[in-house]
This record gives sequence, structure tokens and C-alpha cells, in this order.
Amino acid sequence: MRKIIKLLLIGAALCLLQPLAAQDFLQDSIPETVITATGTLHLLKDAPVQTEVISRQMLQNYSGRSLEDILSGLAPSFAFNEDDMGSHMQLNGLGNNYILILIDGKRIHGDVGGENDLSLIDPRNIEKIEIVKGASSALYGSDAIAGVINIITRKHKEEGLLLENSSRYGSYNDIRQHNAIGLKFGRFSSLTNFQFQHSDGWQNTSVERTVGTEKPITDSQNKTVNRHSNGQIGEQLTFTVNDRLELYAGGTIYAKRIYRPSGKYAQYDVHTYDLQYHNASASAGGTWKPNDTDVVTFDLDWNRHAYMYYFTATTLVEDYEKSKGTIYYPYFPYLPDQIEMQSDQRRTMASLKGVFTLPAGNLLNTGAEYRYDWLSAPNRVVGGKATDWTAAVYAQDEFKYEFGRNSLLHLAGGLRLTWNGSFGMKLTPKFSAMLGLGLPWRIRATWSQGFKTPTPKELEYRYVKQMSGTYLYLGNTALRPQTSNYFSLGGEYTHAGLSINVTGYYNSVKDMITLVTIPNYQAPAEYIIQYDPVKTRQYQNVDDARTIGVDVSVRYSLREWAFGLGYSWLDTDANQYDSSHDRMRNVIIDGTAHHKGNFFTTWNHRFGPAYKISAGIYGRMSSTRFYQDDGNGKGYQIWRISTTHDLGNFERTVWRIEAGVDNILNYVDRTPHGLHLGTTTPGRTFYIGLTVNFNSGRKVRNTFNSTISNNYNSSTNDEN
Amino acid sequence: MKTRFLKFTLLAALAFSFVSCEKNGGEQYNYTAYQRAVNETVKAQKKNNKAILLVAFGSTWQQAFDAFDETIEAYRKAFPQYDVYLSFSSAICINRAAAGENAADGAEIRNYYAPPFWYTAFAQKGVMYSEIVTQSLQVIPGEEYTRVINYIKDFANNANGDLDDDYLSRVVLKLGVPLLQDEDKDVNAVAKALNNLYKGQAANDIVAFMGHGNPDSYDTYKANIRYTQLEEALQEINPHYFVGTVDMMENFKPHVYERMAEAGLNTSNRKVYLHPLMSIDGDHGHNDMAGDDLPEQFVGKSYTFDDLLDEANDEGEVEDCSWKVFFGAKGSGFTCDNSTMIEKGLLELPTIRQIWMDHTKDAINGEPLDYYHSKNPE
Repeated sequence: MRKIIKLLLIGAALCLLQPLAAQDFLQDSIPETVITATGTLHLLKDAPVQTEVISRQMLQNYSGRSLEDILSGLAPSFAFNEDDMGSHMQLNGLGNNYILILIDGKRIHGDVGGENDLSLIDPRNIEKIEIVKGASSALYGSDAIAGVINIITRKHKEEGLLLENSSRYGSYNDIRQHNAIGLKFGRFSSLTNFQFQHSDGWQNTSVERTVGTEKPITDSQNKTVNRHSNGQIGEQLTFTVNDRLELYAGGTIYAKRIYRPSGKYAQYDVHTYDLQYHNASASAGGTWKPNDTDVVTFDLDWNRHAYMYYFTATTLVEDYEKSKGTIYYPYFPYLPDQIEMQSDQRRTMASLKGVFTLPAGNLLNTGAEYRYDWLSAPNRVVGGKATDWTAAVYAQDEFKYEFGRNSLLHLAGGLRLTWNGSFGMKLTPKFSAMLGLGLPWRIRATWSQGFKTPTPKELEYRYVKQMSGTYLYLGNTALRPQTSNYFSLGGEYTHAGLSINVTGYYNSVKDMITLVTIPNYQAPAEYIIQYDPVKTRQYQNVDDARTIGVDVSVRYSLREWAFGLGYSWLDTDANQYDSSHDRMRNVIIDGTAHHKGNFFTTWNHRFGPAYKISAGIYGRMSSTRFYQDDGNGKGYQIWRISTTHDLGNFERTVWRIEAGVDNILNYVDRTPHGLHLGTTTPGRTFYIGLTVNFNSGRKVRNTFNSTISNNYNSSTNDEN
Repeated sequence: MKTRFLKFTLLAALAFSFVSCEKNGGEQYNYTAYQRAVNETVKAQKKNNKAILLVAFGSTWQQAFDAFDETIEAYRKAFPQYDVYLSFSSAICINRAAAGENAADGAEIRNYYAPPFWYTAFAQKGVMYSEIVTQSLQVIPGEEYTRVINYIKDFANNANGDLDDDYLSRVVLKLGVPLLQDEDKDVNAVAKALNNLYKGQAANDIVAFMGHGNPDSYDTYKANIRYTQLEEALQEINPHYFVGTVDMMENFKPHVYERMAEAGLNTSNRKVYLHPLMSIDGDHGHNDMAGDDLPEQFVGKSYTFDDLLDEANDEGEVEDCSWKVFFGAKGSGFTCDNSTMIEKGLLELPTIRQIWMDHTKDAINGEPLDYYHSKNPE
């Protein structure tokens, strides 16, 4: 029990007070801890729910350019696809819609067609990443059906001034800028950061997919990944009232533009607008420790995510209707450099949660949440606006029973009751167990139910599309939440630097929402009269999907070396509505591959007090990715070398150079535009970066010691 | 590198000032600015006192652009007293035809403005054409043609209230009808012209035309029947001609096949020549007719014609399957492949184009339209 209390306190320290600076580690030998699934800190090896960790050390060695880069390189259960609209992510076969992404335990906000914008997350600001698969935790509500990715950010707790700049340059004008200014005087601290990212994008082929007797096109301007720029400014203020109470307030603004080049083939590569995104957030809250063991946190968050067209050429829009039909033009022109709002989503959330130590080895994590969603989509929803609210209460109890040295039973069970403005009540139970029969063996099992709330768009959609006939798309206020049942069983072996984990899972998702053709008499009469003849489609709960798979992870650490192997086998089976035939069909989920894997080996060595090198070789591979239409994506393997060099031995400053080569073998998928790619990599790329960290506080210590860890993940001791 | 970085930083700073980014100067401002560009195009091109406006749905295919260019040229030659303009009714087609490298210096700029903008430009001071002849480039008098009529009605009735009423009371408006307007005269003329072009192919083999058709199950526009009438007219000349559609009920490709089979033609592996029956050869011609689409379950597998027929939906159509793949499937009794695709839009056939031009002549020689108060009677 005392161990838990100790860990809890460490957890609170880690989560709330962790500094951005180098010398912030607790002690050299502390092994990896995780917090995501239970909200309480556990040693990774003792956590009741299987949690995958990408540690700070791994992140630093890998030097990923983006979150996509990091996850695809280090976690084989992820797959990515980039297109015009951004990055499509899959976790064990299920897409963005079913993945909950958290930053420090808070869900990120905003999507375009269900795709979260991952460039909101500055890779330089990540302390570590925890991945919990399935709907395994009662702490998180809607969306966590495939799993939860919790991005734990770096924090600033040092006295005095902190300045940090990290600049990185790579092929295709890939620019990554990260800057931080931290101040801490007495009870008050401030952290300001600014990030900027840019890439010119690239073109793997200038060939368009053409069919039949059509002339081939070999000079298309379409890019494989479009040029894009995005930037974010954030500010976080913290005030420590006393030993038991801390308050914070913060905010961010973010903007992104995706540029679309335009060629001469009106059918293929002419675009008349770029895409632009504006995000903003504000939050305030605090942490109260009523006694030495319990913690209560309260948070208030507001987020905005707006998506718009930025016109690059004069563009006529059909059926333009402004403000409740007062002005109607059959055609309305937008001029270059003008912006048309597509959707503006705003979310306000309030939450109160507490972790309480109960008698007889129990630990209770309980809380309440309220969420209000506001959507403005002038051309897409009835009346241009839609709102929805959700309230939830949850309780999760952890029980730990130790019955011998390193032998323990750890149970976590939870219930989440959700009350939504449109669908009413929903109760989702979760249960996880971990049995340790003396080291080195651990067994874990989970059964959990998950759900996804219908979005305001799915509830209130109204969109008329005129393309070879008129189509009316309708929302449906009678939608039920999408639900899942997740089962997993895993075994872990951890001994003498070796860690092997094998987990099998089965995830069944029901009542998935999709657009279905309905008879016109079921649609509101006024629309049918207005648009007739029209084909009507409405969101309904008709699809379902099952994923079954095995994830294997092997890690081995030996002095300055670490090795890792990951393998993910996946099979999917879904019943999806086929809108061109108006019937259900049994399919493999688009974009999934049966076999995916990764490999890495890293080496760290210190040459005297003023120079340390870390080098790593990383490989990732996938078998054929299956798609229902437009061809399968080719299987691939990609190898990478990353190095980091810590220079000097200065009292207040850390200098680090990173350099590497990605895709050493120069593999490029040159499948014509219009067909699916296995991977969008541009081929061999180079990067170099410099990080300078100045801290007027405590002296920077070089504390790296790679021999202490009992698995790779446990190297949390770090210099920066 | 330094300047580039500076540029990016500025760009980022600019991005953050997004509150002031929305430069929309009000709806009227946009409308006026756009109309001004159309007005200037018309002013620059005005040579005569009368105008012909050709109205098509539009396309994004190069072959279609070329066909429209040829048509404009032919009209200019045939109607030297008229200024000739071409209009698309599809916004996406208008946008893409005029953007990207198509709008670059030295490029042949194609501004196929939507009809209402052309009409307003025709009515501006300094232009004020005395006669405006609208020629529908539709094949059948169906849904699209109805839209054309409505554009003229909006114009005649000054729907936006921004035109000179005196001018509207004076201007002579005329309307050239679609290719197959008249069920006898036009249908027979088109049948005759097509036979003159393809009688060689139809002598021993089959020529099947693929029209568009209106998808309504209750045939709102009463125009789909023209396809049936055209097939009858062609078959009177030679029973090896067929006319089907992509959207008309009871006249999808399996229905066409059924008629071929009833005529006992599906023996001896005759060639089936396929030809779009649309003003231009665009998306439908290249994909629905001559594309390689095959229902997903058969991709990479062996299948027969009967397997494809088993996939027919409730309306009798085999979807996700091109005409070429369908008629060329093993066991169909026909030969159909890339060598039997006739990739020509009707506007590319001078003898068919002439029938449209005859309709324009008829309109010019006929009575003007009386559309005043025809749309929104007081």
C-alpha cells in the first residue's frame, strides 16, 4: 500500500510539475511508470491494464519529425495514410473515429471528417506516449473504442529562467522549430512555447491513374503529400497556493494551411482552394490534495477547431444560401484569397475527479464530466448550427493483493454512466486483471465495453450534393451510440533486461454509423418538395466490424545496447453499407494489413564528460494493405538511422545535435495518383537539428546510465 | 535559406492574425466583382449586335474542351452575324476549366461562365444585344434542358432586379431546342446521320450507343423515351443498332443486352462497338463506357458473363461495371474491348453538330420567346 502512495505522489509530481528542463529526474533507477488506463501511477510491469510506452529516451533516440513518424516507426499496431485532408490513422484496424487522443489526459479536439489533426502535437514537447488498446479504461468516454493514446507533455518546474530552442531541417524543406521560455519565481511559474512546422511536400509520381482508352497523363502536378505549414503558440501559468493546492490557467492558438498545387488537367490536378485550419484552446483548473494520499483535480476547458477553404482561384459555388435563406444565389463566386468557413466546432468541458485510498488495498478513481458541443457548419447542417451535450459519471476501483514476493493479483473494475442530450443513458462496464506469479511472469486479461457518441453532424446533417443527380444527406436524431466489446489476454515475461509481451485481442464494434439510402417518404417533406427528384441518404446505425489480432513486443537491454522487435497480426471482418448498390456487404476494413512489424537497436556511449553519442537503426514493415476500391497498397519495409550527440559540459546549457537518414534503402511507392499507396514516404531523406537548452536554475547533470534498466522502457533517466 | 526562414516566420505570424483574415467583402461585393469580369469579357468580344449562347452541362475532360472549342468555331463560321459564347451550368466544371495552369500566361483561357452571368453581361450598357439566341447543347429535352429554360426565364423576368427593364422589354429572346427535341424529325435525322457514320461497323457487327438519361423512376421530364425512339429509328435502318443509358430505368446495359439476345445477335462473337450518345466524351464515355471497372468480387478472379448478370441490382443494372467489361465478358457471345470503343462525343461529329445548328437556325427564324411573367406570375 505504501508503495502505491509513494507512486501516487511521484505520479502527481510527474504529471503536474515535470519540468521542461534536463535535470528533472527523480532518481536514476526508477523504472517506467504508466498512468493512462487507471489514472493512477503504476510501474509498467505491475499495471493492471496492458499499456504500451514510448519513453522519452526512445523518442529522443528516434528523433521523429512528427507524431505520425513516431507512432508508425515505433508501434507496429499503427498505420497511416496521408492525403489532401490530413493524416488518417488506424490502430489495430480501426480508424481515427475510434481512437481517443489525449494530451496529459485531456482529449484533443477537432476533426475533419473524423480525422484528427496530429500536427497539433509538437513532437519536441512530448515527454512520453502511453498507448492503451481497446476501451479498457472507465476514465475516458466516447471514442476510445480502438484505444487511447495519451501524450504526456514535458513540464517546467525549475526555479529561475529556462530558454530552449530546437531547430531541425530536413529534405523537402522540412522545418521544425520549437521554442520555450519558462519562468519560475516562488509560487508562480510560466511556460510559453512556440512551434512551427513546414514541409514543401513531395511528389512520388507525376502519373495519374487513367483507365480504358483514356490518354495517359504523365505530367500531373498532384503531390503525394502536399506542402503545408502550421504554427502554434501556447502559454501555461501555474500558481502554487500552498502544499496542498495548485492552480493553473493556459491557452493555445494554432493555424495550419495545406497548399494544393494546380496543373492543367481539369479532371485530375486542378484545385481552386487550399485548406486552412484554426484552433484555439483555453483551460483553467487545479489540483487539491486533501491529505497525503488522496488527490482531487478540477478542470475547465474550451476548444475551437475551425476548418475552411482558402480560395486560390475564382470559384463558383452552387446553391449558396446565406443566413436562413434570406439571400439565395444559384451561383455564388468566391474570389482568390477569400475564405469560406466549412465547419467551426467548439467544445466546452468541465470535469472533477478524485483518487481516494480506501481500506483493504482498494484505490478508488472517480469523477464527473460535462461536455457541451457547438457546431457551426453553414452549408452542412440544418440552420447552419447544431449543439449537443453529454454528462458522465464514472468510478473505477483498483484492488491489489500481494501474496508473496513479486506475486500479486491486481484488479481494476469500472463503470461509466453517460447521459447524452440525444440518445439518453448508456452504461459501459470495464474489467481488467493482472496476475503476477512471481517474476518473471505476468498475465493480464481485459473485458471492456466502449462507445462513441453520435456527432452533432451525424445528428443534424443536411447537405445537398448535385452531381449526376441530386443527393440529399440527412442527419438522424434517433441515432444510438456506436458500441464495442473488447477482450484481450496477454502474457509478459520480464527478466534480466529481457521483456517479452504477447497480447491477443478481439474487438467487436456494433451500431456503427454510416449514410444509408432511405425512401423519400421517410425524409422531411419540405426537403423532398424543394429538391425533388432527389435520392436521400441518412445516417443510420447499420455497420459493424470485428478485429482480431495478436501484438508481440520483445525488448532487450544490455549495457549500452537496446534491442526491440514488434509484430502485429491483424484480421478484420466488417459488414458495411455499400451505397452504390444500396446493400450490405462483407469486407476487410480498408487500409488494413495482416502483418506489420518493427525493429530497432540503439547504442549509447559517453566519450568523456563533453561528448555522448546515441545511435539507432530502426526498421518498419508491412504486408499488402487491403482496400475495397482503387487497388491495394503495396507492402513495404523502411529503414532509418538516427544519431544524437550531446556536446559540452556546461553548467547551465545543454547542446544537442541530432542527425539521421530516413528510408536508407530509398524505397518509394510510385503507384499512380488515384490508386492506394502502401506508404507515402518520399524515399531517402536526411535531417539535422540543434537543440540548445539554457537553464538558470540548477546545474545540468549528465545522469545517463544505460545499464540500470530491466527493459528498454525503463530508461526514464534523462538529461534533457 | 535565411530569407526563406524569414518568409516562413512571417507566414506563421500572418496565420496567427487569422481573426482579420477573412477578407470577404460582403456577398454583393463578390457578385459584382465576378460579374465585372464577365462584363469585360463580353465587351472585349462584342463584334455584332446579336449573340448566341451555347449552354452545356460542362466537363472537366480535355477531349470535351476541344469539342466545345470546335463547336464554337463552327458556330462562328455558320452565324457570322452573331457573337458566339459558351456556357457551363456545372460550377465545378466552370471552376476547373479556368484555374491552374489553364489560367497561366499564354494558356488558352476557357471561361465558360454560368448562364445568369452571361445574360447579365449581355444586358449591360454598351453591350445590350438586340437578340439573344440560347442554344441548348443537351441531347434530350430532360432535366438539364429545364434548367436552361429557367435561366432564360429568370433573365426575362429580371429575377435579381438589377437589369434595365426597358432593355428587357426590347430584347428578342430565342431558344434552340435539344438534339432530340422532335420525336420524328430530329430522331430520324440523328438516326440517319449516325448510320451514315457507322454503317460499316453495323453491317456485320453491332453498334451500341450509351446515352445519359434522367434517373427518375416516374420519368418527370418525359424525355427518356427519345432513347427508345432513336433505337427504333436506327433499327429500321439496321437492326444491329442499340441505344441504352446510364441512368434511365429499364434501359441499362443488361436491358440492352437482353434486346440484343432477343434479336438472336449474341452468337458468333460479333463485335460490339460502343459509342457515347452525349454531346461530349467525358467522364461517362471514358469510365462508364470504356473504363475497366469490374465488380470488386471478381477483380483478379475468373468470371463469366452470367456471374456479372447475377450481380444485377433491383433495377436490373450491374453497377461498378463498365459497358466494355460487361459486353466483353466471357460467355456474353460478343467481342468488346478497347479496339471497339468509339471515343467520340456527338459535338465531334459534324453531321450531328449540324442538327443542333439547324435548331439554332430554326430558333432564329421562328417566333421569339414570350417569357415575361412566365416564371413568377403576379
